[in-house]
Amino acid sequence: MKRSVSLIILLLVAALIAACGGQQAGGATPTAAPATGATPAPARPTEADCPKPEVLCVGLVTDVGEIDDKSFNQSAWEGVKRAEAELGAIVNYVETKDAKDYDANIALFTEKGYDVIVTVGFALGEATAKAAKENPNVKFIGVDQFQAEEIPNVAGLIFAEDKAGFLAGVLAAGMSKSNKIAAVLGTNLVPPVVAFKEGYENGAKYLKPDIQVISTYHPGGLDTAFTDPKWGADQAKLAIDQGADVIFGAGGKTGNGALIETAANADKGVYCIGVDTDQWETVPEARPCLISSAMKLITPGVFDLIKKAQEGNFPSGNYVGEVGLAPFHDFEDKIPAELKAKIAEVDKGLRDGSISTGYKP
Amino acid sequence: MQITDTLARPSAARIPWLTIGVWGGLAILVLVAYVRAPQATTAVLTSTIRQSTPIILGALAGIMCERSGVINIGIEGMMLICAFLGFLFNVWTGDLILATMGALLVGAAVGAFHALMSITLKVDQIIAGTVINILAVGLTGYFYQQGLTTRGKFSPVSIPVLADIPIIGPVFFSNPPITYASLILIVVIHVLLFRTAWGLRTRAVGEHPAAADTVGIAVNRVRYINVIIGGMLAGLAGAFLTLESVGSFERNMTNGRGFVSLAVMIFGKWTPFGAWGGSLLFGFANAMQSQIQFLKNQLPSWLAWIGDLPPQFIGMLPYVLTIAVLAGFVGRARPPAAIGKVYEKE
Repeated sequence: MKRSVSLIILLLVAALIAACGGQQAGGATPTAAPATGATPAPARPTEADCPKPEVLCVGLVTDVGEIDDKSFNQSAWEGVKRAEAELGAIVNYVETKDAKDYDANIALFTEKGYDVIVTVGFALGEATAKAAKENPNVKFIGVDQFQAEEIPNVAGLIFAEDKAGFLAGVLAAGMSKSNKIAAVLGTNLVPPVVAFKEGYENGAKYLKPDIQVISTYHPGGLDTAFTDPKWGADQAKLAIDQGADVIFGAGGKTGNGALIETAANADKGVYCIGVDTDQWETVPEARPCLISSAMKLITPGVFDLIKKAQEGNFPSGNYVGEVGLAPFHDFEDKIPAELKAKIAEVDKGLRDGSISTGYKP
Repeated sequence: MQITDTLARPSAARIPWLTIGVWGGLAILVLVAYVRAPQATTAVLTSTIRQSTPIILGALAGIMCERSGVINIGIEGMMLICAFLGFLFNVWTGDLILATMGALLVGAAVGAFHALMSITLKVDQIIAGTVINILAVGLTGYFYQQGLTTRGKFSPVSIPVLADIPIIGPVFFSNPPITYASLILIVVIHVLLFRTAWGLRTRAVGEHPAAADTVGIAVNRVRYINVIIGGMLAGLAGAFLTLESVGSFERNMTNGRGFVSLAVMIFGKWTPFGAWGGSLLFGFANAMQSQIQFLKNQLPSWLAWIGDLPPQFIGMLPYVLTIAVLAGFVGRARPPAAIGKVYEKE
């Protein structure tokens, strides 16, 4: 009896290891170079050629989460893939499963002689700076990583989230009938989330000074704050039940939970606004309520920086990418023309500096 | 004589004056709040029910297992597996009822697996539960693919007339189906445990299996059935997450709610109504945690400091409250006497 028990447990553990191992191997396997038509060109360089100076190799390390997260990791990866298509780069990614693996995952690429390493997310900032100092010849692109001190081979791709949030706030205030709007947010431990919130509130008040904005941060740490859709859904419902009629969901999967919940209440005339990417594409379940998204244009930002690295004029310090509102899609006709004009006017004002978002980092 | 004594102790027979006092006080508070801010009060109470639903279902699962003498710390994993498969059934069939049935079946299967390990194979029950938890994270994480979308989730069903009562109507009678089911199950399991022969046998097996055996109760059969029922209840909690609350799946989306269920079960001294009180308290603290943030700018000046507290600090509220109530009011929680012990005939 004892023996069969140990056997079963052993089998279970083996199955588990196989499950985990399979996934990691999937992430770390080099993406096969596609066969380029019939031209008998010299064999495309592979990952083994990365140490050669003429071969551009770009590696991406995700934040805790998956490459296809419909948000940050995915947008950055699309920028890297554009470099594969347009610059002929060899690209690969590794998914981080645990925050303590950041260093090890970056090392996976530095050891193989990669030229550019993209690290996605604020949380990887420290590990990126450390790796950059150890590998001065490798260029690092830190998505969402504000650079307090300049490191010659690190470019922090940052965004003026307060401006994107401000535009979302103007849109939300313009669409609200109850004069009460809400925001369901990831954690305030991540400065960009705070910037989104402050921008959103100030944008709403810019259009309607007497509007009431209720917002809530996830109380958990970095490990749960962006992956708790149930919490997000609960908050959205709580806000809708007390009269909020536009919900801004800003916080990864947590925010997505808020969007889907709002969509389930769309018959009450409530709207939702997504974040980071055009969530019309990424969260189709939210379409019944999704009027727009406060976008950080991560894909072009990552691509531009890779291109600059290839051309040899890699900028160090902070590189500010573009932000903006996503298309209105099905709500194109439901958004009044005056509001659209107002948003365009505010966007212009934010760009030329005549309007301030009021957010101080 | 000794058996009847141990059986009587954890039952709900005595009148719990303290509990009545606490809940009565809370009811008065709610009325005062309702007069001042009806919409917000109703919203907070609705959210309380909503946030307590998976917790009470998980706690009921724990009660069924542990009352029969089997420890189940695998509730978290059971919830996660059933949430995942319920979600997949919803993706494949597009029928929420079928998907819920599927989640229940899977829950029964995982429950049977736990029973097999802890009763027949005599694996340490803590280890058996841990195996389920680890397996759940590994398997669901591996098989989940992004991009699966569903046709929706359960919507609230208002019960005519009753739903129009102020406060109580929107809070209790305008809920989606699994929430109604959980409210009914609390009563059903209370009656099952304390008013039926099956319940008496279950408790006997959990307190003194040797004595139960001598009067002709098939100890391991009773345990098997109870653990399987527990698995189904955990399955319903999982179904709640993906089919009623969120509408989609996310890796590790249970986020510790199964473990909170266990705490709530102990909080309620292994009784359904006690556990319900505990999960309501937990849900209420969670709802308040958000409401305090919502009201940040409207707090009276002497309370403004609350609005300036970091959300992480306010986020401790549910846990601090649980500890305070556990330490201050609940008193000593005594588990079923034969819990965790494999029964072998002498």
